[in-house]
Amino acid sequence: MPKIKKKRMGFVIDLTPLVDITFLLLTFLMFTAKFKSEAEAEKQFTIRRPTVSPDTTKLPERDLAIINIAIDDKNPLDTSYYYGLTNTKDIPLIYQLIPEIPPEFQTKALIKVDTTTLGKLIRATLSVRSSTRFAIDADRRIRFKWVEDAMNILRRNRAFVFNFVTDKRQSEEAQKTEKK
Amino acid sequence: MAGGGGALEIPERQKRGKIVRRKKKKRIGFRIDLTPLVDITFLLLTFFMFTTTMLKPQIMEMRIPPEMYAKVEVRASELLTLMLTADNKLYWYKGIADQNNTPQEIPISKLRALAIEKNLEPTVKNRLITVLKISPEANYARVVEILDELNQAEIPITEAISKEVDEKGEPMKRQRKFTIAPLTEDDLKLIQGEAK
Repeated sequence: MPKIKKKRMGFVIDLTPLVDITFLLLTFLMFTAKFKSEAEAEKQFTIRRPTVSPDTTKLPERDLAIINIAIDDKNPLDTSYYYGLTNTKDIPLIYQLIPEIPPEFQTKALIKVDTTTLGKLIRATLSVRSSTRFAIDADRRIRFKWVEDAMNILRRNRAFVFNFVTDKRQSEEAQKTEKK
Repeated sequence: MAGGGGALEIPERQKRGKIVRRKKKKRIGFRIDLTPLVDITFLLLTFFMFTTTMLKPQIMEMRIPPEMYAKVEVRASELLTLMLTADNKLYWYKGIADQNNTPQEIPISKLRALAIEKNLEPTVKNRLITVLKISPEANYARVVEILDELNQAEIPITEAISKEVDEKGEPMKRQRKFTIAPLTEDDLKLIQGEAK
């Protein structure tokens, strides 16, 4: 007797749970995502921050002036100061007080500066918005001299409170895994 | 159901004397094609997953005093000096360094314990001044590491001090005295003296 040929049926996969999770993740990421400030977006260098014990204090996002002390990616012997502002409304007001800043840099949120201009910028920032908070975001490979000079410039320009930007220290297990 | 639903029946129409019965349409459930929606969702999800950084930088607050030229006199016995040299070695001494009290090298891993022990000594409790002398050539990461260890030591110190009561009968408040100073040639001589 010939075998009865079963009719081949197309199979259907229920994608509902997958789409559920996808939407959940998307909503979470959309609500938690914070976009880079202009100063951060203009960064042409990478800063490897020093690591410390986990802390709950986070870097403020508004009215922040960051002094970046970075090592040039292409030339590791070249260290420079950069001054960045998160409040884009204040930028033209601050820059117009300093004639040394060339016109092409007037719209930039992050500029390379020398120690003299850095001092003037700190003073101008405080005169435009006295509530501005300062932070030193320095590369962990640099000599302390660079940070000490920045601290002295801050002190001379009456900015007595500032923050060192750091990263959370990973646990020993995580460090071992990273090394592997 | 017999006799029921008469109102819903399709009325019969007459056309040139003929009875035309309208064809009963079969009701079909509608379907929306969700493919473009899911496409866009996945695209957005992938974008956010690749651009989001969960690890945010944290901060270490520093307060520096204004420039002062007036000399402040302190008791040498209430002074704990830490010295970080250009080769990133850490030394410490208490009081005034001399031939009998030479700077001792200490690994950073033991700094927290030292800070707790010295700050809780009964004779200088809550009065000890910590001075961190840093060579300009020292590594910045090492400085932050030392500051972090000293900050971490504050937790048990504050806890121990708050258990005591002051003259008013209130829990004693921790008064942290800490300063950063540059490492001088004289300090280096003190360290070299220890090496001899």
